Amino acid sequence: MAHQAHAMLYSVDPSPSPLTGAVAALLMTSGLAISMHFHTTTLMSLGLVLLLLTMYQSSRDIIREGTFQGHHTPPVQKGLRYGMILFITSEVFFFLGFFSAFYHSSLAPTPELGGCSPPTGITTLNPFEVPLLNTAVLLASGVTVTSAHHSIMEGQRKQAIQSLTLTILLGFYFTALQAMEYYEAPFTIADGVYGSTFFVATGFHGLHVIIGSTFFAICLLRQAQYHFTSDHHFGFEAAASYSHSCLMSYDSSFTSLFTDEAS
Amino acid sequence: VYQNVVAVQQMARRSICSSARRQVENKVPQKQKVFQEDNGMPVHLKGGSSDALLYRATMALTVLGVGFTLYELVKASFPQKKD
Repeated sequence: MAHQAHAMLYSVDPSPSPLTGAVAALLMTSGLAISMHFHTTTLMSLGLVLLLLTMYQSSRDIIREGTFQGHHTPPVQKGLRYGMILFITSEVFFFLGFFSAFYHSSLAPTPELGGCSPPTGITTLNPFEVPLLNTAVLLASGVTVTSAHHSIMEGQRKQAIQSLTLTILLGFYFTALQAMEYYEAPFTIADGVYGSTFFVATGFHGLHVIIGSTFFAICLLRQAQYHFTSDHHFGFEAAASYSHSCLMSYDSSFTSLFTDEAS
Repeated sequence: VYQNVVAVQQMARRSICSSARRQVENKVPQKQKVFQEDNGMPVHLKGGSSDALLYRATMALTVLGVGFTLYELVKASFPQKKD
């Protein structure tokens, strides 16, 4: 019995990716410190290049192990699902930290802020303009991703490709709108605790939308190349779970960070 | 002029049609054969010579990067006094 269970699992081949990834992290962090003192971004950029190379090669290898070598049996997929759930949970806690920072300063505003929230002197964004549009865009992308999922499960190749493409385009539209909002905003990250919490929270969120769009772009390429089958498409499900959690975090931001009167 | 417009429209329609007909071929069975070949190669090199090239380039950057980092950190640790 034990032998049978083990035959359904597999050990990966030795890989250089953990080492190259760790060195990339070393280069990026040291590079960031060096760039702040000596105004040179060479080390940090080198780290970024190494990170991208590592990401490409390690995900290429995982696709080879799953799709081409057949190692992603049901028990293995279960493990991958657990892993993705744990990772997404850690991301949720990451965002909870930034929300805590916002509420810490906004629920009991200090005299230095004018004793009110939003603080004196801050002209907030109207939540019912671009923020509301952005909410709608992300919700729409949730619909298109669900449509893509059902198309994949039904074996409808063309429809899946169309829905996935639309999802990615909606993600890009969100990013473009957010970039415009950042440019036009009447306050900056340097404008007290409000500016800090607003731009750090929405900034990290925006980065996660970009990550989600990239993940879906890879899924689109894989769907076009026949990698996904109607009952085995975990890579797509991982991307969808990640993006849904990103969408939830924006909805929470929308109801807290964007209010234009004291919360 | 009208005949030219019609001609351009016909050309556009033809090129769109032919690109729509260009299907992506399912190469998964070929890939499965390559990556399941019993040649003892680890998965990160099993795809052929382009894998080896990319691996060498990445490893070179890794080694160079560690060296460069140590150099920059040592340099930063001993600041030069400005005269």
